[in-house]
Amino acid sequence: MNKNKLTNLKEDLKKNQVEIMLYPSKCDGCESGEFMACVKACETHMREKYGSKYAGARINIKKKADKFFPIICHNCEEAPCVDACMPGARYKDMETGWTVTNYKKCIGCWMCVMSCPFGAIERVGKDHFAAKCDGCIDEDAPKCALACKKGALKRTGIKNYSYERRLMVAKKIYGPYIKSNIKG
Amino acid sequence: MKYVIIGNSYAGLSCADAIRRFDKTGEVTIISDENYRAYARPLISYYLEGKTTDETIWYKDDDYYEKNNFKLMPGKKVVSVDTASKKVITMDGTKLGYDKLFVGPGGTPFVPPTEGFNPESPMMGTFTRFDDAKKMERAAKAAKHKEAIVVGGGLIGLKASEGLRGLGLHVTIVELLPRVLGLALDEISGNMTAKRLNENGIDTATGETVTKINLDESGNPVSVILKSGKELVADIVVVGVGVRPNVGFLEGSGIKIDRGIIVDKTMMTSVKDVYAGGDAAVIYDVINKRPNIIAIVPLACEEGRVAGTNMAGVYREYPGGMGLNSVEIYGLPIVTIGLTNPADESQKVYIFQDGEKVYRKLVYDGEVLVGAILLGDIAGSGILSAIIRQGLKCFKYKDEFLNGNIYSFVIDNEFEIYNINEGYAIRGDFEDLPEFSRTNWR
Repeated sequence: MNKNKLTNLKEDLKKNQVEIMLYPSKCDGCESGEFMACVKACETHMREKYGSKYAGARINIKKKADKFFPIICHNCEEAPCVDACMPGARYKDMETGWTVTNYKKCIGCWMCVMSCPFGAIERVGKDHFAAKCDGCIDEDAPKCALACKKGALKRTGIKNYSYERRLMVAKKIYGPYIKSNIKG
Repeated sequence: MKYVIIGNSYAGLSCADAIRRFDKTGEVTIISDENYRAYARPLISYYLEGKTTDETIWYKDDDYYEKNNFKLMPGKKVVSVDTASKKVITMDGTKLGYDKLFVGPGGTPFVPPTEGFNPESPMMGTFTRFDDAKKMERAAKAAKHKEAIVVGGGLIGLKASEGLRGLGLHVTIVELLPRVLGLALDEISGNMTAKRLNENGIDTATGETVTKINLDESGNPVSVILKSGKELVADIVVVGVGVRPNVGFLEGSGIKIDRGIIVDKTMMTSVKDVYAGGDAAVIYDVINKRPNIIAIVPLACEEGRVAGTNMAGVYREYPGGMGLNSVEIYGLPIVTIGLTNPADESQKVYIFQDGEKVYRKLVYDGEVLVGAILLGDIAGSGILSAIIRQGLKCFKYKDEFLNGNIYSFVIDNEFEIYNINEGYAIRGDFEDLPEFSRTNWR
């Protein structure tokens, strides 16, 4: 069965075509269960990964009225934060296309905080560094996406994404007649 | 294709990267008058404090030049550019031919006429280069009274004094304007910054200038005399008033210069095949709506990239930039964006202040946000700079911005865009999408 599947997440991920997809309408801030599971998961994981000096969540959820919005790095093509970075701590990882940070170089000038049009970079004043999501590119799966049970954060490859989107559009029009074979 | 880049810093390297993106084989030569590979120039004050070390001050990786096949010519000062025969002439007589030239010479420190200023002295100087920082580090060790005078209360002066303070000296900033960071900050925020400096052992003498520097027999400073007649003991004198475009070597090349290098939309100068960018170029200021020199790192990178793209043969226009800056003074983060001290009566100013901790100021021109100052709490300031740069109407968010809910703008304007998957796009009404779009960000 697996052989005939139209899309294969594993294959997609091998080609490094990984993105964390955002579906804000599905986010409810985890009010029913643990509050903001993704933020908590990220925080614990960052502490393990970088040690206590560079701990702190790289994702944030902002609320307005009944809307929740996960604030996360969007990996701009020509990222303003990379341009603004004076020490050259932030750079584009050419293999994966993610914008990542060398925290050893970061000195806390907040030029990137001032430049990010998404507000996705957080100032950690105590330890003087600017924290930004680096996509967990050296790992199997980002912990935030694993922690999200609502489907607001998803990790997909490009093939999967386009397939999923086609199905969604079709579903919107012909609703009950088409069933998606992709879960979650 | 032979590319030559004058200037081994933000604009020059960004240009080289852009060339390499479109031209994998072209010969790229980078000329620098300093004997280092590219370092993070604004970080020299952090170097004094010890926050940046000899290992981490380098802007790019160790193998950056080899990996990208760039040829670096360090320690060569360009004395003139012969645009007729397309040659760059350096101090030692080397003539270097080019097909496309990028000029990113940056700025040279400006020293106001002061009696007794002697840049040869090991205890006196300007503060823009790595060598200056190393000189000051040695000077701080030799200082007898541990007293330093910094002339200029702008960004260079402030960071230099913070660095010297980190070395255990008592520092006095002498600033001509009535407050520190006088061009960017207003009275309230300037006073808050000055207070933070004073608490940390840096005195501020505002509305003052140094009229004379008293020297000992070996040419080192002993004391300075201020305009008001006060005499201050000084072991070290640092002049950090500002920089002027370093364009002296372009004289006679035919390149049009008016304060800085005049460029067109593609960053090309008045001479064909010669491009310019960085602190020496005059670009369009989208806030003041006139050509202007804006000497900041993000714009230098953008200008270099646009120039490099055009040099490699791919057409690209630069829409212009705006002034914005960010600095931290002893735990107090400061962000200034766009027009912060409006002279025009029609521009309305809104202020929020929470004691000595948080200060926010918004400047509206009609419904359009044109400037902002954020002190203390700078979360989401990037959203404001994106709004200001695009000239979006956002008057109804005024109160929320003042109270720090900057993210509410993003939630309102992007929520629907993200949920495009759920059938929003298929209805075909793209016109209904909010006009806040990332595609026109640059």
